[in-house]
Amino acid sequence: MSIAPSPLATEHASKAPQESHGLTLSQFLSTYVFSKDHKVIGIQFLFSTLVWFLVGGLLALAVRWQVAWPWSDVPVLGKLFAQEGGQMSPEFYTMLFTMHATVMIFLVIIPILAGAFGNFLIPLMIGADDMAFPTLNMLSYWFMWPAFIAFGASFFVEGGAASGGWTSYPPLSTNVAASPGSGWGQTLWLVGLTFVGVSSMLGSVNYMTTIILMRAPGMTMFRLPMTIWAMFITAVLQAFALPVLTAAGFMQLADRTLGTGFFSPEGLIVNNATPGAGGGQPLLWQHLFWFYSHPAVYIMILPAMGMVSDILTCFARKPLFGYRPMVYSIAGIAGLGFIVWGHHMFMSGMNPALGITFMVSTMMIALPSAVKTFNWLGTVWGGRIHFTTAMLFALAFVSMFIIGGLSGIFMAATPVDIFIHDTYFIVAHFHYVLFAGTAMGVWAGIYYWFPKMFGRTMNEFWGKVHFFLTFIFMNGTFFTMHILGAVGFPRRLADAYHYETFHHLQPMNAFMTWCAIGMVATQAIFAANFFWSMFRGPIAGRNPWNANTLEWTAPSPPGHGNFDFQPVVHRGPYEYSVPGADKDHLMQTDPPNAAAAAAALVAH
Amino acid sequence: MNASAISLPHDHSGHGHDGGHGDDGHHAGHVHLQYQPGLPLSRGKLIMWLFLSTEIMFFAALLGSYVVLRFGAAVWPKPHHVHLSEPIGAFNTFVLICSSVTIVLALEAARVNKTGLAKAWMVLTFVLGTLFLGVKAYEYQAKFSHGIYPWAPRGRIHERPDLYYGSAVRARLGEAAMIERLQQLDERPAESLSPEEASARTRLQQVRKMVANPDQQAFDLAVVADQVMPLPAEGASHGAGHGGSGHGLNDTFPWLKLPIVIPGGSMWASTYFLLTGFHAIHVIVGLIVFAVLLGLRLDAKRSGMIENAGLYWHFVDLVWIFLFPLLYLF
Amino acid sequence: MNRRIWGMAWAILFLAVPVLGVATFAVAPAINVWLPKDVSIHGRDIDSLFYFILALTGVVFIATEMVLFWFLWKYDAAAGERRATYIHGSHTLEVVWTIIPAATLLFLAIYQMNAWADVKMRRPDMPPTVEVVARQFEWRLRYPGRDGVLGTQDDLHLVNDLQLPVDEDILVQLKSMDVLHSFFLPNLRIKQDAVPGMRIPVWFKSTETGSYDIVCAELCGWGHYKMKGRITFVPRSEFDRWLERKYAEQEATRPAGDASGNLAAR
Ligand code: HEA
Ligand code: HEA
Ligand code: CUA
Ligand SMILES: [Cu+2]
Repeated sequence: MSIAPSPLATEHASKAPQESHGLTLSQFLSTYVFSKDHKVIGIQFLFSTLVWFLVGGLLALAVRWQVAWPWSDVPVLGKLFAQEGGQMSPEFYTMLFTMHATVMIFLVIIPILAGAFGNFLIPLMIGADDMAFPTLNMLSYWFMWPAFIAFGASFFVEGGAASGGWTSYPPLSTNVAASPGSGWGQTLWLVGLTFVGVSSMLGSVNYMTTIILMRAPGMTMFRLPMTIWAMFITAVLQAFALPVLTAAGFMQLADRTLGTGFFSPEGLIVNNATPGAGGGQPLLWQHLFWFYSHPAVYIMILPAMGMVSDILTCFARKPLFGYRPMVYSIAGIAGLGFIVWGHHMFMSGMNPALGITFMVSTMMIALPSAVKTFNWLGTVWGGRIHFTTAMLFALAFVSMFIIGGLSGIFMAATPVDIFIHDTYFIVAHFHYVLFAGTAMGVWAGIYYWFPKMFGRTMNEFWGKVHFFLTFIFMNGTFFTMHILGAVGFPRRLADAYHYETFHHLQPMNAFMTWCAIGMVATQAIFAANFFWSMFRGPIAGRNPWNANTLEWTAPSPPGHGNFDFQPVVHRGPYEYSVPGADKDHLMQTDPPNAAAAAAALVAH
Repeated sequence: MNASAISLPHDHSGHGHDGGHGDDGHHAGHVHLQYQPGLPLSRGKLIMWLFLSTEIMFFAALLGSYVVLRFGAAVWPKPHHVHLSEPIGAFNTFVLICSSVTIVLALEAARVNKTGLAKAWMVLTFVLGTLFLGVKAYEYQAKFSHGIYPWAPRGRIHERPDLYYGSAVRARLGEAAMIERLQQLDERPAESLSPEEASARTRLQQVRKMVANPDQQAFDLAVVADQVMPLPAEGASHGAGHGGSGHGLNDTFPWLKLPIVIPGGSMWASTYFLLTGFHAIHVIVGLIVFAVLLGLRLDAKRSGMIENAGLYWHFVDLVWIFLFPLLYLF
Repeated sequence: MNRRIWGMAWAILFLAVPVLGVATFAVAPAINVWLPKDVSIHGRDIDSLFYFILALTGVVFIATEMVLFWFLWKYDAAAGERRATYIHGSHTLEVVWTIIPAATLLFLAIYQMNAWADVKMRRPDMPPTVEVVARQFEWRLRYPGRDGVLGTQDDLHLVNDLQLPVDEDILVQLKSMDVLHSFFLPNLRIKQDAVPGMRIPVWFKSTETGSYDIVCAELCGWGHYKMKGRITFVPRSEFDRWLERKYAEQEATRPAGDASGNLAAR
């Protein structure tokens, strides 16, 4: 144990006396596998989602391959999935982007934010020993497994995995005849989605309960770090939006397996055959789906926004600029997020007058985002910036979110959306918010909290190499997509070059694919750094970054029960560089002294 | 708690966990932490409320879809077209409301440690819940026996008396077993038939003649449909059975199982089974919870659990209060 | 000193974002990778709105990214021994940067409504010029024929080859037989999903003759990528002649025993 201490061994260590080092099977299972400790569960989520991240990234590469060089033999993958002599079929391409998006959204971004970081950080940052309901928490992880299995298995069933797009619009997705050969894939997709839903639901009610009832003495709501506020509001979003998708998923499942017709109108003629029951409405699915999936895009970014706020303050050594406006703007984004779903349906045949109301509400949702952006800039202003890897990723988040957010304005403008809807402009938009935004936030979070998770810091040099290459390649891949979108280049096309309007875009696409290949290859550096540092990185100590929040008062990694003392909170989380204080940071638990008290008086 | 008494070990560095759990090892077990709750609620109760709000959204989505589908549909069957009986539905509503009362009484009894009484009320709640499900099952059975399924192969619903309907009836009448059965019916002496059966037999013979010809006119098929299962006119009193009128051919000879025409019927069936089905699943979950509780001593210590189960049960009750008028009355 | 150079390097990396971003948008039109030629009446409004938003967001983009760069450059910890400013925010600033974007966005919201209404709400009062029925994976067209009414015997049926008169209001009646499709005319700035069970009007007017792509822009199955049509605008006289010729072809190829053929002969 002293040679290469397993970072998760603390629970065992605090229980078992020194002499018995061997774990029995049941001890092993209850410590590492069926653990109810929020930290272990968080790390389980982290590992699972990173593995799926790799899968999603490889699927993205295959997508990019086809877009750049359609119908050419795919290297490596082509042999695995040998279609016609290593060349992709259009069905296969459709499946690729559907599963790429599904994996990235439902198995990577949502669970890594709420599941990995939410689990690991919430109790630590509010001063609790665990979640309110540890067993439920464990279940929320294990409910991901049926989803992993369903999504994973769907690649191998006859006809391949789901291929109706991640939006799964009926009647294409409900009518088996509409995509011949697709039997199980889509059904498994719906099953997987339901389990992801149950998992998130179990997680979110638990998080809310924990945050409301289990804060350390002195930790008022307005002393919570932004990460926790973001997690809290994300949990609210999940709790209220997700059941709608679950309900809709059941209806689509019934349409597929039982032959009901919730989403199929009367009198379809699909593939020269008339399917059974009708009388339903295709647009109903879109409303239900986006009622969830629009809030879901904020589920996919708010926690990253929270984490980035914490990281920016720490490495700018400055209080967060406008703490309360930051909190209110998260709440504002969440609230408005429920009334803008129609902006995905401007061209869907929905009443155009309704489109106008959705356009106005969508414009308004840019406001709280603007408040956040300006406050981040305000936080950096006048700071003492330390360019650590975590900080660089956090800064990249801000820089890239601006791009992704601003492209949202083009699409919110209904007349412009007529032209750019379902083009690569949209693809550029959401990769800027999701990959260039959230994923940067996630990496910032990993580099920042890695010491707390594993007791060791990651290598800074290789971290910076990873950052630099990812940043360059990512912009090479995604920025050019805006231009493709301006030409009207449609998304989800296996081959667009036979259109006169688009045939000159192939070289540009090839460039983007080269960048994407570089981007995925770069991640090897990250993976190596991650695993090497887990076992060999420099020992971190409790507070390697001299940060203020509660998790940094606990041991690294924290033992079972998290705290070896009773944390009592005396101040907000961002008291950096307080005038008159001897250190440039005042932890939330530091007892008040005269100087700090005076400073606090000045500030409020 | 005295702030100055708190140790602040955050300046330790390099301790990590080499050497086992070194600096933390001196704790036997871990610190029992104190909290500052934001709401005067127990954890169980809070999470139950939060869980119920997710449930509200779930049913809101289902009910919303129902409303959209119903008002977007060209036609929608009247409750009697689909053999829904208001009295049965109202009775079931009453049963469920009673069970909501008994669970409260169980809680009251448990709070004052009258464990026996609490158990008795709990048993009654359980029985009432089961009764509700039983009635529901009876109603489902009535739908099934009329060929009303939400899905295609087993359901016998047709939207309109068109050529597809004609050929479906012909196909059913042409099944080998059916031909035999019909022959037996034809051969039975008139005295062995009740007057109703006799009249139905004549009408059935006419129907068979009408559909025998493959060049059916829609007009004739409407007559056929009306013979197989007449749809009661608006406001007409409905006869026996499960709220439907009892003199269609399918009613007199249940083994006939001829396809029926209910305009808007398949979507109606889909939504009906969807809504009541998910409600029934929630009832079953409630019953499982009650069964677990029945295995425990229902004293004041358990009142929190009973209260949460009761909250859930009230919610299930409330959903039904919405479903009943939407499905049975409008 | 060394650390200061690294700090400058990182700041410059962030400066590259607005510089290269703007450069990309400047170069793209020059190498003809830009909005395709617009031949419609209403397209001008859409394009100018696009440029307006591009300018607006461009200014915001350049300003915010430059500010970020400047702060990174100036407030690098290695740039000097000073403490970070201890400040929790500014009420005035919060108000300013809420009100200004709010006003801008509200203006934008109101400003664009007219263009939207022109394309999607102010439907011309006329019978449909042509019915477009999408199906996997082709565009079925139906012209009303001489009597100008759809659904009569002299309807002309064609596939994928949509010819229309130039300089005239066109009203398309858009339907779908099977799944969702989207009727996308890049050169006319038109896009509208075709939804089974719905009949959606689409209208436009071309100012130039020529032949352009019809693209399917909604995923509709494996053949989505090849669901291609052509839209051709010709002068009215030519259009009429074309209709006559196509109708004659249709009559000639109609099988004699065909039930509809019989009816047409009556
Ligand atoms: C994390 C995910 C995320 C986030 C945060 C957002 C944020 C926003 N999105 Fe995005 N969106 C997606 C993920 C996301 N989106 C996805 C996945 C899709 C596609 C789904 C699919 O079809 O597959 C999509 C699609 C999508 C559409 C549909 C396009 C179409 O299909 O035709 C629209 C239309 O309005 C839209 C708008 C917006 C807007 C206005 C914001 C705003 O919240 C952005 C606000 C931020 C800013 C504006 C920048 C910062 C502000 C300033 C610097 C202040 C000054 C600014 C001004 C004065 C303008 N998004
Ligand atoms: C979170 C969401 C997310 C993320 C991260 C990505 C990442 C990427 N996406 Fe994707 N994408 C979507 C969500 C996402 N995408 C969605 C919703 C769609 C729409 C689908 C639809 O139309 O239905 C889409 C569609 C889409 C398309 C359009 C397809 C089409 O319409 O025809 C393209 C094309 O270029 C693309 C490319 C890429 C690329 C190159 C990446 C790259 O950024 C990928 C980079 C990947 C990595 C860098 C992997 C890193 C791996 C690790 C870090 C693991 C390390 C391992 C350990 C430590 C164990 N994506
Ligand atoms: Cu038709 Cu895509
Ligand atoms: Cu959205």
